[in-house]
Amino acid sequence: MNSTVQKNKTWPVIFGILGVIVMILPFFSGPYIQSIGRTVITYMILAISWDMLIRSGQLSFGLAGFFGLGSYAAVLSAVNLHFNPFISIVFAALVAGLIAFLVGAVVLRLRGMYFAITTLALGEIFRIIIHNWTSLTGGPNGKLLPKLAFDGASIPTYAMMVLFALIIIALSEYFKRSRIHYALTAIRDNEIVAKSSGINIYKYLLIAFTVTAAIQGAAGAGFAQLYGFVTPESSFNANYTLIPLAMTLLGGMYSTWGPVIGAVLLGVLGEFLKLYIPYGHLVVYGIIIILVLLFMPWGIVGMAGRLLKKGESHE
Amino acid sequence: MSELRTENLTISFGGLTATDNVNFNIKSGEIVGIIGPNGAGKTTLINLIAGIYYPTSGKIWLDDKDISQIPAHERSALGIGRTFQLIHPLEGLTVLQNVMTGFLFAQKMGLKQAREEARKLCRTLELTGLDRATGEINILETKKMEIAKALATNPKVMFLDEVMAGLNSTETLEAIDIVKQIAAERNLAVGVVEHVMGVITKLTHSVIVLDTGRIIAAGPYEDVAQNERVKSAYLGGGV
Ligand SMILES: Nc1ncnc2c1ncn2[C@@H]1O[C@H](COP(=O)(O)OP(=O)(O)OP(=O)(O)O)[C@@H](O)[C@H]1O
Ligand SMILES: [Mg+2]
Repeated sequence: MNSTVQKNKTWPVIFGILGVIVMILPFFSGPYIQSIGRTVITYMILAISWDMLIRSGQLSFGLAGFFGLGSYAAVLSAVNLHFNPFISIVFAALVAGLIAFLVGAVVLRLRGMYFAITTLALGEIFRIIIHNWTSLTGGPNGKLLPKLAFDGASIPTYAMMVLFALIIIALSEYFKRSRIHYALTAIRDNEIVAKSSGINIYKYLLIAFTVTAAIQGAAGAGFAQLYGFVTPESSFNANYTLIPLAMTLLGGMYSTWGPVIGAVLLGVLGEFLKLYIPYGHLVVYGIIIILVLLFMPWGIVGMAGRLLKKGESHE
Repeated sequence: MSELRTENLTISFGGLTATDNVNFNIKSGEIVGIIGPNGAGKTTLINLIAGIYYPTSGKIWLDDKDISQIPAHERSALGIGRTFQLIHPLEGLTVLQNVMTGFLFAQKMGLKQAREEARKLCRTLELTGLDRATGEINILETKKMEIAKALATNPKVMFLDEVMAGLNSTETLEAIDIVKQIAAERNLAVGVVEHVMGVITKLTHSVIVLDTGRIIAAGPYEDVAQNERVKSAYLGGGV
């Protein structure tokens, strides 16, 4: 059996099956399962966005910051400007993207841990501003959303999140298949070589940083639609950074499918663990990150790729 | 017809002047050797011209344009190509994709055209197995890939930094032929750094000799080799 053919067919089959499960989920499950589905999808979107930036070698801890920013942008635009839920999500993406674009000039000069810590600090700055700007944001008490998308109906909201995830998967695949892939990979591997091949490093990092921040902002706005309110503590929760990161590490970095698989596995596992041991799921995430980093640094997708390749060379 | 010219080009790293008032020029159709003992400043000169470092003082002219302050990726697009002494293949990309980068970015081609042009270029270099990872190719193939990556930017001026090092004598002869042929076909200006004088004599029309950042001699290799300062620089350098 030709293993390159096999390799090309394995993932589409797996994702076909996953896709069918996702589509028919609403017809044989109650609102509770659907709400888990929506949460998993939110984390999946965040995980993909984190991966889209790490492909350039830049480790961001800023997910929760842009997520919170987006959730506030959506709620405040709905309250004050009477934006409908869908426009408020687009607006949140634009706000998060614009802010990333503006701070990018400073942040994208940094590398490695300096970049990571600065993105983390950035999220804290957003949170502190929102916490203290009581007249606009409601301060520590947060704000209620006046009207939920589809008036909070479970199935349409679920369908909206599925559509959102499909758009982000398509965007991530576009990043993988276009010239952006060549630029980001070259920047990750060696910046001096990249420059010498004519790659404008700052331009491509700015594209990746802006687009992924916009996705994170939109994810925050989508999440506000699920919960109906925002507070500084819940919307900027560090889990929105750590959980997607763990999911991507488990599934495998530098691909679209790694974060997707990682999000499904860890997300479903985490939601059920939560029922039996509150907060225990976070411990489990921590253990999984350590085990993956020690024994499976390329994650599930990377491992599978390697195993297939090994099979090939033994034939 | 192009000309690259440096004017009192100087860079200091702390107390060390790695390039010291270098006046150097090279024209289309010329192959110039850049020689000198270890640490003489050969690689640093290339890095300055390519825009990896910015000079402490002095200028770099490409034809009538002062390029000394513009960023490296723009210089690549303007026609400065180079290989790396310490080769860092882009490991996340295949051999073909490595070669495509210059076409994509320095020449601003689309993916499809870049892929075709990269294939064509590799064919002329007799580089095959293009879908392999960079970790799977041998040293001659790696060197060919380096040359292909430099050529993919469509350079007017190209610097080869010890591109023959590590090759055996048959491979070196093959590499010399390839460089000569391409330089002639494309009417390139080529700067060649090599420690093996046999390569320098076979490949270059003239040489400059660097020592502690300064040009201490220039001209045809046969003349320069007789120069007392050059002899003592090499003796002092322990070569
Ligand atoms: N970024 C840097 N920072 C500090 N010193 C540097 C830097 N780059 C080069 N140097 C120093 O400049 C001097 C010239 O180095 P360079 O690499 O140009 O020499 P070279 O002629 O290419 O030598 P070799 O034949 O060993 O390759 C050396 O003393 C080196 O240590
Ligand atoms: Mg050198």
